[in-house]
Order: sequence, then structure tokens, then C-alpha cells
Amino acid sequence: MTLETYWLALLGLLLAGYFVLGGYDYGVQMLHPLLGRSIGQEAQHTGRNTALDAMAPYFLGNEVWLVAFTGVMFGAFPHLEGTLLSGLYPLIVAILVGLVLGSAAIQLRGRAHTARGHRWCDVLIVFGGVLPALCWGLVLGLLLHGVPHRADGSFHITPGDVLTPFVLACGMTTTLLFAAHGAAFIALRSAPEPAARAAVMGANLLRAVGAAGSLALLLTLFGAGASMTNRVTSAVLGALFAASLAAAWQYLSRGHHGRAFAASSSATLLPVLLVGAGHYPYVLINSAGTGLTVHQAAADGATLKILTAFGVVVIPVILAYQTWSWWVFRGRTGRRHPSYF
Amino acid sequence: MSAADLARLQFAATTGIHWLFVILTMGLVPFVAIMHTRAAFTRDPVRRVVWERMARFWGQLYVINYAVGIVTGLVMEFQFGLSWSGLSKFAGNVFGAPLALETLIAFFAESTFLGMWIFGWGRLSRGVHTTLIWLVALTAYASAYWIMIANGFMQHPVGHEVRDGVAYLTDFGALLTNPNALVALAHIALAALTTGGVLVAGISAFHFARGTEETDLFRSSLRLGTVVSTLASFFVIIVGDLQLPLIRRTQPMKAAALENGDIAQVRAQLVKEHGPGDYVFAHDWLRISMDAMTVIGNTVSTIMLIAVLLLWKDWLVRWRPLAYLLTALIPFPFIASVAGWIVREVGRQPWIIYGELKVEDALSPVSRASLVVSCTVFIAVFVALAVTNWTLIARFARRGPVATQLGTTEPIADEDPHGHADGKQRVPAL
Repeated sequence: MTLETYWLALLGLLLAGYFVLGGYDYGVQMLHPLLGRSIGQEAQHTGRNTALDAMAPYFLGNEVWLVAFTGVMFGAFPHLEGTLLSGLYPLIVAILVGLVLGSAAIQLRGRAHTARGHRWCDVLIVFGGVLPALCWGLVLGLLLHGVPHRADGSFHITPGDVLTPFVLACGMTTTLLFAAHGAAFIALRSAPEPAARAAVMGANLLRAVGAAGSLALLLTLFGAGASMTNRVTSAVLGALFAASLAAAWQYLSRGHHGRAFAASSSATLLPVLLVGAGHYPYVLINSAGTGLTVHQAAADGATLKILTAFGVVVIPVILAYQTWSWWVFRGRTGRRHPSYF
Repeated sequence: MSAADLARLQFAATTGIHWLFVILTMGLVPFVAIMHTRAAFTRDPVRRVVWERMARFWGQLYVINYAVGIVTGLVMEFQFGLSWSGLSKFAGNVFGAPLALETLIAFFAESTFLGMWIFGWGRLSRGVHTTLIWLVALTAYASAYWIMIANGFMQHPVGHEVRDGVAYLTDFGALLTNPNALVALAHIALAALTTGGVLVAGISAFHFARGTEETDLFRSSLRLGTVVSTLASFFVIIVGDLQLPLIRRTQPMKAAALENGDIAQVRAQLVKEHGPGDYVFAHDWLRISMDAMTVIGNTVSTIMLIAVLLLWKDWLVRWRPLAYLLTALIPFPFIASVAGWIVREVGRQPWIIYGELKVEDALSPVSRASLVVSCTVFIAVFVALAVTNWTLIARFARRGPVATQLGTTEPIADEDPHGHADGKQRVPAL
């Protein structure tokens, strides 16, 4: 294993972490009008939302995974960063707009002092969940399929590239998957009554994920979908994805919420692994079947060595304090928990 | 407007607005940390409650600002790759490292720990909880350090060599000790403390002018805000001027604009060194900004020095117009900060990396239509966020500590089956 491969693995870890953690944020955001309102007058009065309460203490710690992913991509794979972000310009802008509006609305929702302000925030929170979830799926679809080819290595997507059945199916899959994952998270974290409702909804959503994912798979089998570089690896990862979905569905139906959340987390991170491992050694593949390799994308060896010196110390520390923050706020939320968002 | 102009406008508008949030985040967090620590270590229960309510009141304003600041910061992280991919192609080996380290070392910790601090009231032990806010403060400044290292490289590229049109890192130590970055960091840290101090003092004075009953809370806040901003505003001017020798040596055109130098001569020199090109960029803006910064800096510094003397026996807030003057001072450090940003960044033009890569050569191959849309959307969203931020801060500042939501548990009647009153308390146990 070279230094470049290690950094690719770390980049994958950060993106996978973001998919798992940000993924349930988006799911909770999408479902919060349905699952968050508890029955009773005082909830109406205070505007508290149990679904949002469930993710609240982790929210700020979750979205940094995306920022760290981008930062590390810039530091360790500058050539990928420049090509990828500018090539996917409209999708990245859409993701950012969704993120900005959704995150601001979540954090400021509690500060709104009118019913109208609350409603606006709720709309933005749902919008900020759906848009990034959908667009990340479209990005994954494009990366699996291969981006348009240009002689100088840069690319630029057009609506025609995005609006293909396979890419759209990928978009549907992640949107539904994040929603199901969010439902599993609410089932794990909320009081028994909303948790039971979330489990039912999550199980239904998982079936829909299965349908959308099967569509993407069928399109691939008929040659209109992903063209994977490493077929065996991809097939194994695809099978694991299907198994995770099935397991999550089983556990949710039987009321094992912890295991269901673990399974839905696994389903959420596998697409990231599929893009990384399925196309290795390419980090970006184009429609001509070639692309940018890890080596071409990576920063110079001297830079990577310096980053590594910091990384070996900092990465374990990050994982430790993130784990600590999950541990501190473990358990089901109740009304006695400090609510702020 | 050309694609380059649009990308420039998008970057300038989003960064400029983001900077307004940053300066207040950095300016307020030390105050909140000090107040929270005083609350944790005060034995007298009455004083302890005062300090704790102070920490929650100012913490509330800080957290509102942080919420908006973080989402605009999220966009910043992507901007280079989106619109300026030439930067990562040319200088990714050098410029990317500080950005990567900023996210891993500083930002990750800042956000995680702040999330824990916000929801830690009544849940974490006093020692852990105060440690968290200090870690948030520390990582906020660490974040500023790494960003200034990246920005310093754009202003005064050091520690690298260019081979075949690509920059390679050769001296990491030189990059980390870039004098351009370090002096600017000290300058903005002091500017942030001035901004935070003036805000704390101004809002406290406002409450005195309105005849607040929370005199203990606002007296302590007023003292802290006034003393810190007096010291910070004195040194911010000195440290700001310390940057000039380096600017004269490394950025002659910026120096010429700021000091009414011989622009024609500098232009001729730059053309000789870097080939033909437009090296005079918005000089009026630079000079106006520099003047605004100087005037505001000196005025604020003078007023705060007088204010410190008037703290004696509350003279500062006994006479209402004087108290309102302090409140009216709040926006000026922000204006000065934006002016400072203009001097630094507009003065760097036409270079994205001074002397090595021009802004227009770093532009991504993005269509003009995409840029029109993204520029419009980003500016609209960012302006809306800024308006929301300031409306909310003003509202929560005006309502005073009674309306603080941070660290309170909801008053719920049916929570406790025995109907004990502790479920109704708005002030949580520390």
C-alpha cells in the first residue's frame, strides 16, 4: 500500500462517514413533519419536534464530515478536487444551497417566534434534506457510469448527462435510502411511540429503496448503467448492499432498532465504497473507459508525507472525540433533554 | 459581465459576508468562555447564577451567529474547486495542505465540541462543560491560523518551487511561519476581540439606558466588554501598521495605492517583471477602505479608552446619550473589518497567487449561464442569511437574559408524576 492509497482510504472514510451521519440528518429532515409531531397540545404550543430533537446534539458534528472530506480532497487529491467540483458544478451548487438553507433552518427554527416562521423553517428543513440526498445520488450515478470525456481531462456535465434512467434511478435510491436511514435513526433514538411509527415507515421505505436499487441494477445489466472497472468487487459490494437493506428491513420489522440502524448505516456507506473500490485505480472515470488515476490525482509525495505526519495523530483523536460525543448523548430522547434547535 | 467577473463577484460576495460572521464568532467566543469559567469557579451562589446567566445570554447570541457562519463556511470550502480549479491544478500541492489540516485539526473539533456545549447544559459536569467552550474558542483561532496560512500563501507565496508549471512544497516550515500570514492573523484576532468587546459593551449599555433590572449581569458584561475592546483596539492599529513594511516589499502596487505612491512607476516595474497586463485594480476602493479602517480604528479606540475611565461608578451608563453612543458603535468594527478585507484581497489583484498565477488564469471551465445562476442564488441566500442573523441577534439582545433559550429545559407540567416544581425551572442546574 502506498501513501496515496492510504489517503484514498481516508478520503473514503470521510465521505462514508458523511453519508452515514449526514444521511440520517437528511432522512430526519425529510420525515420530521410526519414523525416529529407528538400528539398533545403542549407540543403544538412549543413547536418541539421529536424527530429533530433526536438528531440535534449530533447535528453540528455530522456536517463537518463533508467539510473534512472536501478539505482532505483539496490537500491530498488537488487534481481530483479541481476537476470533480468544477465538472459537477450545477449539482454541487444545488447540494450546497440545500445544505445551507436546511442547516440554517434547523438551527434557527427554535428562534422563530411566529407560527409562520416555524412553517417556513419546516419547509426549508425538508427541502434541505431532499435536495442534497437526491443530488448526491445523481453524483454517485455519474461517477459509477463515467463522466463525459474531454481531451484535456476536464469535463462539464449537461442536463443530458444527468437525465438518464440510470443516474435518475441512483438519485431515487439515495433519496429513499437516506429517508429510510433517518427513520431507523428516529426509531433508535425517540420515545417508544414515535419510534414504533418510525420503524413502520422505515420498513416501507426500505422496500422502495430495494425497488429503486433493483432498477439501477437492471439498467446496468442491460448495459445502460454503471460500467465498473472491477466487476467482481462491484458485484460483491452490490450483494452486500442488498443484504444490508434486507437486514435493516428485517430488524426494523421485528423491533431490533439498534441492529436495524447498524444495517441501514452499512447500506448508506456501501455506495461510497462501490465508487471507490469498484473503479480503483481510477478515482474519476469517463465515458471512454479511462480517467484520472489515484496517482495522477494525488498531491506530490512531499506534501502527502507532511499530511500523513499530522494525520496519524489527528485522525484517531477525531474518531475518539466523535465517539465520545455519541456516547455522551446516547439513549432515547425525552422531554427532559435540553432542546435547543 | 464575463464569466471571470461573475466568478469573482460570487467569491467576493460570499467571502465578504462569511467574514462578517467569522469576525463575530471569533470575537464573542472568548467572552462566553470567560463568563462560563467564572460561573464554574464562583462559590457565592448569587454571583454564580449571574455569571451563568451571562454565559447563556451571550452564548445565545454567539450560537445564533455561529449557526449562520458555519453554513456559509461550508460553501467556502467548495468555492476553490467550483470556480477556481486552476488554483488547485497549479498550487494544490502547497495550498491544499493548510486547508486540509484546518478541517481536520480545527474545524472538526470546533463544531463537534460546540454541539456538545449547546446540548450539555445540565447534562455534563461543570469541568467538562467549561473545557468544551475553551476547546471551541481554541479551535476557532486555530482555524483562523490555518486559513491565514493558506491566504498568506496567496498574498506572499513562500516555501515552494515551481517545476513545469506546477508548484511543489519545499519548505513546510516557511509556509507555517509566513510573516504575511502571522501578522495578519494577529491583526484579525485583535480586530475580532474589538468587535466582540464593542458588541458586548454596546448591548449592555443599551440595557442600562432602558433601565434594566439585571444590573449585576450587565455591569459585569459592560466592564469585560469595555476593557477587552480598549486593549484590543489599541493594539489592532499597531499590529495593522506592522504589515506595511512587508507589503511595501512584496506587494508594491498595494502599497502604492494605500500610500499615494507613484503608480505609473510601480506599473512599469510590474510590467517589466511579469509581462504586460492590468496591474491597477480598483485603487479608489482600496484607498477609501484603508481610510475607513483607519478612521474607525482610531475613533473606536479613543471612545473605548474614555469609556474605560467612565466605568468608575457607572458614569458611563448614567447619562443615557452616552450609553446609546456605545450601542451605536456596534456596527463600526464590522465596517472596518470588511474594509480591511477589501484592502487585503482587492489589493492582491490581479493575482490569485501573488506574482505567480493570475485570477483569470485560474478560472474553471464553467459555463457563463451556470455562473449567472449560482452567483444570483448564492448572493440572494447569503444576504437573506445575514439579514436573518442580524434580526435574530438584535431581537435576542433586546429581550435580554429572560428570553434566553440556550441551556433551558422546556417548562413541562406533566413531566413529573408527582408534580414537583423542578420540571418547571427554566434555569438548569450547572
